[in-house]
Amino acid sequence: MSTVDTEASLVRVQREDFSIDEEINRVRNRSTRIGGIATFLGTARDRSNDRDVSRITFEYYEGMAQKKLREIRERALQDFDVIEVLILHRYGEIDIGENIVLIVVGAMHRADAFKACKWCIDELKQITPIWKCEQTPDGEVWVEQHP
Amino acid sequence: MIVTVKLFGMLKTQLHNESELKVPLDQGCRVDDLIAAIQSMNADVGDLLLKRKILVSVNHEVADGETELAGTDEIALLPPFSGGACPPWEMLADVYR
Repeated sequence: MSTVDTEASLVRVQREDFSIDEEINRVRNRSTRIGGIATFLGTARDRSNDRDVSRITFEYYEGMAQKKLREIRERALQDFDVIEVLILHRYGEIDIGENIVLIVVGAMHRADAFKACKWCIDELKQITPIWKCEQTPDGEVWVEQHP
Repeated sequence: MIVTVKLFGMLKTQLHNESELKVPLDQGCRVDDLIAAIQSMNADVGDLLLKRKILVSVNHEVADGETELAGTDEIALLPPFSGGACPPWEMLADVYR
């Protein structure tokens, strides 16, 4: 598999759901040096800002979103003592309880994997052009949180 | 030249579900000129741009007001990204002990 193919499988924005096991194995299979894998899974919840939410729609900027996710992966590999990073985000309509975003980080040791995983999801939310629209009893609401 | 500006999220909703704006500009214009042109087309969106509540990206990078524009550039207006609530870092500190 070429570097480009590898990166394409490890950084994805896609409509369809994903298998957490398959994605973890994608990272696990990158190196036998991996001794710890940290994951973050974001799922669609039914409550937001004191409002019921019945469905979420994600919109993204094609091209720029993938570029930013690639940059996050590259920086994580550079700045943390980790072996592999996978970043995956869904777009389109997502029902309550479904998967939204997955970060998988493989490292020799757990502390590095946890740290990099936390950094990746925080950075994703800061710099990746993805927008969330929640369907509420009051209508559709675009979310602009930046905690 | 006429530049095409992509719209996303709440901006698209605000502008009657249009996915892009066509903005006439002089050759050699900068992002600040684009913002002024948009201000004259839609004061509400212009104000958000001036307050930096909405960012401008040029060729997939966030651009400052001095960035010069070419007709071939891919330009977009970026409303705030969705973000999301996360616990303070201290709550995760035990994980590392």
